[in-house]
Amino acid sequence: MTAFEDLKSQWNNQNQPETPVDGAKKVVDKINAIRSKQRITNIVLGVTVMVLIAFFFYISAHKFPPVMIGLLIMMGSLLARIGLEFYSINYLKKMNVSVAYEAFKSQMATYYRQRIKVHFVATPLIVISYCIGFVLLLPAFKENLSSGFYSYILVSAVVVLVVLGLFIAKQVKKEIALLKEMKHSD
Amino acid sequence: MLKQQRQFDAIYKANYQKVIRICMGYVNGNKALASDIAQEVFVKVWKSLAGFREEAAISTWIYRITVNTCLLELRNKKYTQPYQEYHQLPETQEEPYADKEKQLKKMYQCIAKLSKGNRAIILLELEGLPQKEIAEIMGISHEAVRVRVHRTKNSLTKCVKNDSI
Repeated sequence: MTAFEDLKSQWNNQNQPETPVDGAKKVVDKINAIRSKQRITNIVLGVTVMVLIAFFFYISAHKFPPVMIGLLIMMGSLLARIGLEFYSINYLKKMNVSVAYEAFKSQMATYYRQRIKVHFVATPLIVISYCIGFVLLLPAFKENLSSGFYSYILVSAVVVLVVLGLFIAKQVKKEIALLKEMKHSD
Repeated sequence: MLKQQRQFDAIYKANYQKVIRICMGYVNGNKALASDIAQEVFVKVWKSLAGFREEAAISTWIYRITVNTCLLELRNKKYTQPYQEYHQLPETQEEPYADKEKQLKKMYQCIAKLSKGNRAIILLELEGLPQKEIAEIMGISHEAVRVRVHRTKNSLTKCVKNDSI
């Protein structure tokens, strides 16, 4: 027996988990759980959008052009970001896993190239738009809020921006590394 | 629906052992993680079942889904952590058995050092698949598979013996 044949025999005789008796049922249960989770996510997002629209009219934002524009830009930026994430998640879910490995690897590489475009083009534009919207709202905040609360809003906005920036940078770094690995590995 | 469920049940029972072994090869022999990925593989099998056209053998189709799902799941950090508690050997273990276990552990560590593509090829080779079928799963020529199997077999054997790849 050659050294590799010996490894092969060990591989085939190794101790491995038994086939779960109700495994197929658990898979079907998991699929149903994923579907209901998706429904809940859609409901939560729908409600959030409705709350934002209700808030918009509650504070009569449409009567004050700078506030209206600021809020619309911020809401639009958030919706654009959520839309992009949904698109990415759906792209991953819809990838055909039953094709040959090399074809699947190409699909994955396309996915990561799209993600990098999102990170380097769409995300900075969205963040800049969000900031513009926020700055447009500042005079209204200053006029209607106490100075302490106004300062809190300013500081928390900067903190959120920095934390979000670091999080996105980490994600970008990870996805660039995965794309590189995909390009250079067999 | 009931017919599909029965068909899926049969596919699951007939292929689980093959799938879990391939998955174990991607996660350093960690059975719990391999079971998680195997479940993900069968979720995808269920979802793709309606599109299965019988152009390839069902086992080739399942293996394709398995190696592709493993590639997809390895993006997740939890699957790329080194596995520390792999088969802790009882002190009273008989010598030849303990040696085999150590070698198996070493084999997993060496497989983890391979590129993801070569990992898929060597795992399919260890499963005893004909090279023609491996070529169909990988989407490369039979000749390319032959060369890569030969190289990877050598580097794996060398690594298990000398700890270098």
